[in-house]
Amino acid sequence: MKNASAADNRAHLVAWALLLPGLVFLGALFAGPLLWSLAGSLGLDQGLAGFTLEHYAQIFTRPALRSGLLVSIYYGVAPVAVTLVLSIGLALLLRRHFRGRAWFNGLYKIPMAVPGIIAALVVMTLAERGGFLDRLAAPLGLALPRLVRDPWGVGVILTSVWKQLPFMTLVITGAFAAIPQEVSHAARTLGAGRWRTLLWVELPMALPGISAAVLLTFIGTMGSFAIPDLVGPPSPRPLAVHMYAEFGSGHLPLVYAIGMLLSAFAVAVLLGYYALSARAARLLGGSARKDDHE
Amino acid sequence: MNEAASVASAPPARRHFEPEDRIWVSAGLFAALALALGLPLVLLVLWSVAGRWPAPDLLPSSYTGAIWRAVLDDGDVLSAAVTSTVIAVLVTVLTALVAFPAAWAMAKFPLRCKRAVEVFVLAPVIVPGIVVAVGVGQVFLAWGLTYTVPGVVLVQMVGTLPLMIRLLVASFETLPDELIHAARSLGASPLRAVWHVALPLCTPGLLAGALLSFVGSFEEFDKTFLVGAPAVQTLPVLLYHHLDPYSLQFPLAAVVALILLLPVLVVFVLSGRILRDDLMAAGMGKV
Repeated sequence: MKNASAADNRAHLVAWALLLPGLVFLGALFAGPLLWSLAGSLGLDQGLAGFTLEHYAQIFTRPALRSGLLVSIYYGVAPVAVTLVLSIGLALLLRRHFRGRAWFNGLYKIPMAVPGIIAALVVMTLAERGGFLDRLAAPLGLALPRLVRDPWGVGVILTSVWKQLPFMTLVITGAFAAIPQEVSHAARTLGAGRWRTLLWVELPMALPGISAAVLLTFIGTMGSFAIPDLVGPPSPRPLAVHMYAEFGSGHLPLVYAIGMLLSAFAVAVLLGYYALSARAARLLGGSARKDDHE
Repeated sequence: MNEAASVASAPPARRHFEPEDRIWVSAGLFAALALALGLPLVLLVLWSVAGRWPAPDLLPSSYTGAIWRAVLDDGDVLSAAVTSTVIAVLVTVLTALVAFPAAWAMAKFPLRCKRAVEVFVLAPVIVPGIVVAVGVGQVFLAWGLTYTVPGVVLVQMVGTLPLMIRLLVASFETLPDELIHAARSLGASPLRAVWHVALPLCTPGLLAGALLSFVGSFEEFDKTFLVGAPAVQTLPVLLYHHLDPYSLQFPLAAVVALILLLPVLVVFVLSGRILRDDLMAAGMGKV
């Protein structure tokens, strides 16, 4: 008995020793700087006496920044919604056999490896005023609306969708593939049609994978600044772009405060996701719980 | 109408497309692919060799290799390519070295606060890169690492480490403990058991992680730009400057984009066999 617990302790020591380099690295380069930013945003880097909420107040009182938060959320939500619909369709098609499936399966993932900046350039060459689509439409007597740096951020949405479709499709294909065939067969045998099976059996079972992909994509888009900076409208701009501008003009406490707000929002979304998925797992019973919090 | 009957009669009745359906599906998918990927690539190549390409024309009215020659003669792009490559290699190797032991501990040891460690390790995925970069930038100012290649390598690793750990954990977890036990009971030291038994079996996971790290570093912009620019010019940073809306030059941007695209695509295509879909989905499809 005593021996076993000694071995157990030794195993723990070894485990922590193995974890140490990674934990120290992330502590020094992620957690530390983040705490420092938090302190800076509250004025605590000047000592306890410097405590202030003024920098956070600025975000909510300066109109440009206040709309920035909404724009950030919009740039997070809109591309993900479009990508989600497209990639569920694509994942369903990829389950079937068709000619050239192996080729398609390799090729569709290319945008995953293409830098976001090139994606922006691609959208510019295609959809910019005087771009290729405009030139195609011109002989037909059509003039395309403004699609790049337009007020609705269509350019940003196009770029993000182009870039993220493969990742989302890959994860969703994986989530569908993990559903045991017997389950959908059972549903079909019990008289459910193809669409009913998809909607009420397969989609709910694939939900943990799908929602994780949605979450990662949402957070990525919400925080990126190169794409909205290049193909987004000059105003209103998302918080990440404001953050960079304020960084350039040296307003560090405000930069920290914006950063903290962005991070807090991401964490809140994550916690909401955990709460929802725990609830979903309870509602759906044991089968979904297994692959939930692993 | 006879759907239930057909399901019951045909054993594992997975509905396949009729042959004529399949042609249309694959035609549609490949047409979409050509439009979404092929067309932009062709346009980039055309822009890079376009002499004159006035607005209503669908094709350039004259061609020239002058932009390519100018870019290749000018040291900026080449030195940025070298910088990008060096940084990507360093990031990949260092990430693997730090991630391997940590992932091993998380997959194979009964940790007391395993969940907390998992959350801590994955947290950087949640926080936007620009937020990380601003904080790290201030720390690096104190350490003298801002505007240096080591600084850029370190800040990029904050992004690549979580993914690598995640892929390795997924791959270690599929590894049967019995194999390690067998090696150990046959007299191999723990290190030998890991090196000769576990490592070869985890090569797919390790390669997938290495590949993602390399590509992730090569294309990384936000953190590199904040911590490294203007002293450290990687290809994405260079391209960003060429895309400035007020002085945008499509031909020049197209050339830089193609140079940036080439190695990334080569690595990606070569890796078709390495990157197993199930592994990627297992590594990234959960939070």
